[in-house]
Amino acid sequence: MRLDKLSAGSRWRMRPDGPEKTTGELRYLTDLSVPGMLYGKVLRSPFPHALVLDIRTSRAERAPGVKAVITHRDVPGLNGFGIVTPDQPVLCADRVRYVGDAIAAVAAESEEEAEYALTLIEADFEPLPAVTEPEAAMREDAPRLHPGGNILHRTSFKKGDAGAAFANCAFIAEHTYRTPRQMHAYMETEGGLFIPEPDGRLTVRAATQHGYKDRMQLSRILAVPEDRIRIVSSPIGGSFGGKDELNVQPYGALLAIKTGRPVKMHNSRRESVRAGLKRHPMKLAMKTGADASGRLIAHQVRIVADTGAYSTLGAPVLNFATEHASGPYRIPNVDIEGFSVFTNNGVSGEFRGFGGNQVIFAVEGQMDRLAEAAGIDPWEFRLRNLRKPEDPGPLGQRIWPTDGVRQAWEGVAASALWKERGASSAAASLPWLKRGVGAALAMHGSGLGYGIPDPGGGRLSLNADGKIEAAFSFEEFGQGILATLEAMLTGWFGCGPDDLHIVIGDTDLAPHSGSSTASRSTTVAHLALRQLAPKLKAKLLELASDLTGRPPDGLTTGNGGIWAAEGGGGSLIGYRELAEACGTAAELSFDAKFEFPVTPDPVTGGHYLYTSTAVAVEVEVNELTGSVRLLGQHHAVAAGPVVNPMGYLGQIEGGSSMAQGFALQEDARMEEGRYRIENLDGYLIPTIRDMAETFTVDAIEELPEGDPYGPRGVGEIGSVALAPAIAEAVYRATGKRVETLPIRREELIVRFAGAAVEREAGV
Amino acid sequence: MSAQRWSAVVNGQKEELDVDPAARLLDLLRKELDLTGVKMSCEVGRCGACIVLMNGKPVNACLVMAYQCEGAAITTIEGLAGEELHPIQRAFCEEGGFQCGYCTPGMILSVKALLDRTPKPTTEQMMEGLAGNLCRCTGYAGIMRAIKAAAGSDNRGNAMQG
Repeated sequence: MRLDKLSAGSRWRMRPDGPEKTTGELRYLTDLSVPGMLYGKVLRSPFPHALVLDIRTSRAERAPGVKAVITHRDVPGLNGFGIVTPDQPVLCADRVRYVGDAIAAVAAESEEEAEYALTLIEADFEPLPAVTEPEAAMREDAPRLHPGGNILHRTSFKKGDAGAAFANCAFIAEHTYRTPRQMHAYMETEGGLFIPEPDGRLTVRAATQHGYKDRMQLSRILAVPEDRIRIVSSPIGGSFGGKDELNVQPYGALLAIKTGRPVKMHNSRRESVRAGLKRHPMKLAMKTGADASGRLIAHQVRIVADTGAYSTLGAPVLNFATEHASGPYRIPNVDIEGFSVFTNNGVSGEFRGFGGNQVIFAVEGQMDRLAEAAGIDPWEFRLRNLRKPEDPGPLGQRIWPTDGVRQAWEGVAASALWKERGASSAAASLPWLKRGVGAALAMHGSGLGYGIPDPGGGRLSLNADGKIEAAFSFEEFGQGILATLEAMLTGWFGCGPDDLHIVIGDTDLAPHSGSSTASRSTTVAHLALRQLAPKLKAKLLELASDLTGRPPDGLTTGNGGIWAAEGGGGSLIGYRELAEACGTAAELSFDAKFEFPVTPDPVTGGHYLYTSTAVAVEVEVNELTGSVRLLGQHHAVAAGPVVNPMGYLGQIEGGSSMAQGFALQEDARMEEGRYRIENLDGYLIPTIRDMAETFTVDAIEELPEGDPYGPRGVGEIGSVALAPAIAEAVYRATGKRVETLPIRREELIVRFAGAAVEREAGV
Repeated sequence: MSAQRWSAVVNGQKEELDVDPAARLLDLLRKELDLTGVKMSCEVGRCGACIVLMNGKPVNACLVMAYQCEGAAITTIEGLAGEELHPIQRAFCEEGGFQCGYCTPGMILSVKALLDRTPKPTTEQMMEGLAGNLCRCTGYAGIMRAIKAAAGSDNRGNAMQG
């Protein structure tokens, strides 16, 4: 189905958060303030790597307006955080490992006073050599950044005998690809409000993608039980994975507890750049071989990921990269090894696509190069090697059958953009403008994968106000979970949006639904409501039957209340009356608790549910300036039924824009462990001028027969396959193969004058 | 620097404050007047999240100091809607012109300034008018649909033909 407003018809609906977002009425967590609050600020390391010899705070403590200064001595519990391994110090005691490391924090009556106080903190350091190249960090003689050495995580996957199989290959492509340190660049920087409550509890209002995980981490740091902490984590001004890990929360919480007053934190963009997560830069060496008929025989991959100073999700990202490094293809001999390596660079962590984007760029590049070597059309080459619906997953694990990747392949094959690609090169209007079309294909896992707790759940009730209340611990950071829940609920109950009350992002009010990551929330919401909605509905009809004297099977839920199942005529009894008539609220409340679907095979990180995408793109390269303009994009996405057309389309459009930045312009470059950019004036993300003139999306909704998992999330899939398609299109336009992202303009510039001079001179 | 009397007409209402003349308009609006629809993001005038209208023209509130807007008429996003959503706000809602919504107030005010100046803008003029507003969520496609809808131009489907 061509996904747009026209085809969606009445399903194209305004988001419930639209009015408050477009009027500015919505208070993000960084917009909150309360009387008497203090402002918190963090002092960060001046060095990428150094020993901390001494920290003296007495001058800062005496500064005007200052109410508290904290250092490592003020952390009552674990002085560390990290979703997997808590090896990042909250406040460094003896050593700093990157320029974002926190040394001390201050709470003062005003922001200016807090900032001034930071300048009065005296700290002595002994600088150490910074380890900034992952491969240097892997050497035996490199300074050890952590007790376990510099390799955070190592992966290995072997199938057949790739080394030997290359002997039987007619064509071999061997290339090394590099991908950039992409920044999330969410428009709202990190921050929030930390409030000590009169009853001794702490309320944290700060963005995260997993409120319950923040609660657990803060409980460890503060040494207080989890139920003494309430996390309110929504709404959020963009995250893309970047706010999943703790950022300002430990400092806000410690300062609020120490001062007994509310504390507000809000990172400047500079601080966000310096301290925040980025996408893992990866070096991907691939050797791939095919036989004379273009069948893939062997694939060898070595991944080296720069994970920066601390663990956060470096290991799972590498697992994901390893799983996706052989693409959606049948390859009998595979040998992949991966290393996630500590350095003194900025911390790399979770980012939309989760390690997939990097390896997909590389493996799709391999497909284009091999196809060319074999003299086969690149799209036909992929088809010849495509997996079949019942094939196991890329790590040999059983997966839920999917024909999505073939359907997506067809979506591009049938697109006007692809079919007319032959005419592209002739269409450019000036001699230095060169056009070309490229395409790429990918499969992408959803959920956290085997071996990682991945709880799902939710609560559905009729509340005291007579609203159908759905409570999930998810966060709304733009992806549209509110609209998706609204669409699902109005679908189940036939009711209107006004009959609903949706509660998210609050550990006091919503049960554990797991993280709002990994394209998992749509599936979790679907699975939870499939359990809960029939229960609540049956209960409501039973109650209505008692009150109206009509049999339950002659009744149904609808707008405003319970209706006769046949004949319409308005509601017989309102939801509010039902709530009032009901004795106990517990009777009208149902909870679901389950695990996200996972492969039965013990393959760490291995996924079970996959979505697929194919992307075709046409570019125009200006050989005078080296700039690459996108003329048109077509995406074919197989992710099950579309629940929320506006949200689905927006995820593909937005994910693709982020991938365009990854391919063409974005790199938070570091030198000697220091960022070379500090704000959005040096780090350029796409603007409205960079968008393609045409952009079409086909949503492939078909699932295998009997599929019990329903709609899949599309938060990541739009961002994973555009970069290799752009690289191929650039090659078609200019004849230049690109192996490093972002594509440097300098590589595409042709020295016309120089060429003419050389011709003159007969060189 | 000592505080001075600052006055301006903000969203149609006269406001008077004692402020440092070099205070940023961004802080006056967000902190003193609690108009948090004015968003803080880059603070160097690049992203447009803090755009407000000053005497009808879009300005980054992070770059305007109090003395520079003394006596001016300032419109923030809070001043746009009446009883109903402004047609530009409605267009953003109907076309998927936002996701996280953090860039939206500045974006909508840039569109307002554009359409006030140029009621029937060409695609080129739309891009020119919005080039100072960054959005990380939508990829701008929904925003372009919203501008076209607000400008009353043909906007069927999601293709954005120039």
